[in-house]
Amino acid sequence: MKLLTKDDFINIHKKNGEALAPEKIKEIACDFLQKNDLPTTKDENWKKTDIKRILKHRFEYGKKIDLDKFVVSMYNVSGTYANVLVFVNGHFCEDLTKITDEQHIFVFKNIAKAKTENHEIFDKYFNKSDIHNEHYFSALNTAYAEDGAFIYIKQNSVIENPIHVYNFVDGDNRKITSMLRNLIVAQKGSKAHVIFSYHSLSEDYFLTNVATEIFVEQNAYLDFNTFQGEGDDAFQINNTRVHQKKDSRFYSQTITMCGNIVRNDLNINIDGENCYTELNGLYFPDREQHFDNTINMNHKVGHSLSNQFYRGVLENNATAVFYGNVNIFKDAVKTEVHQKNNNILLSKHAKIHSKPHLIIHNDDVIASHGSTVGQLDKEALFYMQSRGIGQKKARTLLLTAFANEVIDKIQVPQFHFYTKFLLEKRMKGDKTDGMCSNMGACRG
Amino acid sequence: MLKIRNLHATIENKEILRGINLDINHGEVHAIMGPNGSGKSTLSAVLAGREIYKVTKGEVLFDGKNLFDLSPEERAREGLFLAFQYPVEIPGVSIVNFLKTALEEKRKHLGLEPMSPSEFLKMMREKKELVEFDSKLENRAVNAGFSGGEKKKNEILQMAFLDPKLAILDETDSGLDIDALRIVANGVNKLKNENNSFVVITHYQRLLDYIVPDFVHVVFNGRIVKSGDKNLALELEEKGYDWIKKEVDELNN
Ligand SMILES: Nc1ncnc2c1ncn2[C@@H]1O[C@H](COP(=O)(O)OP(=O)(O)O)[C@@H](O)[C@H]1O
Ligand SMILES: [Mg+2]
Repeated sequence: MKLLTKDDFINIHKKNGEALAPEKIKEIACDFLQKNDLPTTKDENWKKTDIKRILKHRFEYGKKIDLDKFVVSMYNVSGTYANVLVFVNGHFCEDLTKITDEQHIFVFKNIAKAKTENHEIFDKYFNKSDIHNEHYFSALNTAYAEDGAFIYIKQNSVIENPIHVYNFVDGDNRKITSMLRNLIVAQKGSKAHVIFSYHSLSEDYFLTNVATEIFVEQNAYLDFNTFQGEGDDAFQINNTRVHQKKDSRFYSQTITMCGNIVRNDLNINIDGENCYTELNGLYFPDREQHFDNTINMNHKVGHSLSNQFYRGVLENNATAVFYGNVNIFKDAVKTEVHQKNNNILLSKHAKIHSKPHLIIHNDDVIASHGSTVGQLDKEALFYMQSRGIGQKKARTLLLTAFANEVIDKIQVPQFHFYTKFLLEKRMKGDKTDGMCSNMGACRG
Repeated sequence: MLKIRNLHATIENKEILRGINLDINHGEVHAIMGPNGSGKSTLSAVLAGREIYKVTKGEVLFDGKNLFDLSPEERAREGLFLAFQYPVEIPGVSIVNFLKTALEEKRKHLGLEPMSPSEFLKMMREKKELVEFDSKLENRAVNAGFSGGEKKKNEILQMAFLDPKLAILDETDSGLDIDALRIVANGVNKLKNENNSFVVITHYQRLLDYIVPDFVHVVFNGRIVKSGDKNLALELEEKGYDWIKKEVDELNN
């Protein structure tokens, strides 16, 4: 079988709508595309994630599809009061926009529009994290993405309701690839909760390529949530780059419930002192699914604290990767980093590659990391059974408790509720029949 | 209530139980004593259905049913309860949630309606009082970070909740101070009636001052080598196990 080549991807995207990137940035990204290849397992960061399974499919460019409000309401991730933007196959659905907080304290619109209407902010921040140089897909996104979300929280503003961006994919019996390019700026002293959720509306093969740049300015507070609940045949490559200025706080929760191959790169840069960073994640792959969380935590400046807490439950033939890179620079003294990754394998065929990787260039740091892989605690299971609790129920209780420690990090109450609800639904389901085999089962 | 006939059990091909015979009737309290490693915990684990032990011979009837036809959870729902010598920690599952789930499962098994939240709360209050259980603990995860005494009291609370026909207490008194011991014993005495039975595994007469046994058995090397009334326990307290070992050796020679 002929695999897609890097040029195929360029050809899919270049002949379509207008790219977001200003000419200069596009050139830089195209230069990267020319000089670099698609990731392979020979690359240090892709050793355990083989994208050949993705490249087998002849993807086409995803078209815009009209979505009904009712369809969106079935995926009630963020509750009734959220500020909402909706995208389908990377295209903006303007009529589904909802703004519930006061308009003058933040800007929340599609980035194609912001490029002209808010061009000063756009020019100041777009690709300033150099997100294009992460890998081939992030460069492709930088060169050719047409739209995505633009979130700008004004100085000292507090956004009460969650800011929620939906991205749906809908194939209509074709194999679809689409891109989403997002920019989030939390200005000095501001505070907001953001949710990005990904869902499929059909059972086709998809490849969604997301690139999100986040700038957390001085003393700002940003809570960033990602919910991945696309179908069994949906591939997603999701790349997030964050820059934190001094005294800022950044929280991230990545919940990966479903998908085929899902790759999340989360790259954090501490540019100022006294920052706090918390990266939480929960992954739940089943069948042949493969979920990869690759983290790059860069402490460039000292006197900051970061915490990583990822947990996974793997069923059947599922595989997962937790690759936690921490890089503490030479001058980043008094840095404190913690990293914890726990996994439960529910079948002997499931496999986890958990690799903490701490590079520390000075002596004046506190660092801890721990990684565990295990089965369900048999003693605890028996203890519960001996109290009359059936084996399946006991298993559910233990797994739910395990997952809840991560879920309880979710700050947005509605999203917390939704995630718990889906988890319970999934636990009730037959072991071999996860929630994602039927269309749209990942909804509330 | 319980009939154990010639019960043999192994772990990792090592024979631990070598022919246990025991009859327990309704309303009786039996004490089981015996040196460490003689098989007392193995006996209780086999009865509760721990699958790491293999039953190689013998049978056990529980209220006329073949016990080994029932899964561990079915045995519990039918009214068998084991208070563990080493209660297990269950991180993330609160005591309240745990008890609620266990009770629901039991009631479902018995064909009863689920309890209403207010009924459950009322029951919770009563049972906590019965075993003098600290309310602060009920929202904590089961046994997680509990002291030895708290764990044992939690076992008694669970017992009170599930109201078993037959409760086996495996060294529930070991390591308890005298106050905790009194609380545990009072709990048992309040739950005791003519229809249920207790098996109390212990090393100490002091527990049997509170829970007075109808029969005392001594387990040695996987067998019950001596049975008697409550005076046997006093004798053991005084003389230790050596004389029994000697008796057994003489019998064997
Ligand atoms: N998991 C196990 N693996 C191997 N041997 C065991 C295991 N559990 C108990 N035993 C052995 O079985 C014997 C009886 O143990 P146990 O029933 O705990 O005794 P008791 O409760 O009377 O002190 C001991 O010799 C002990 O070493
Ligand atoms: Mg014992």
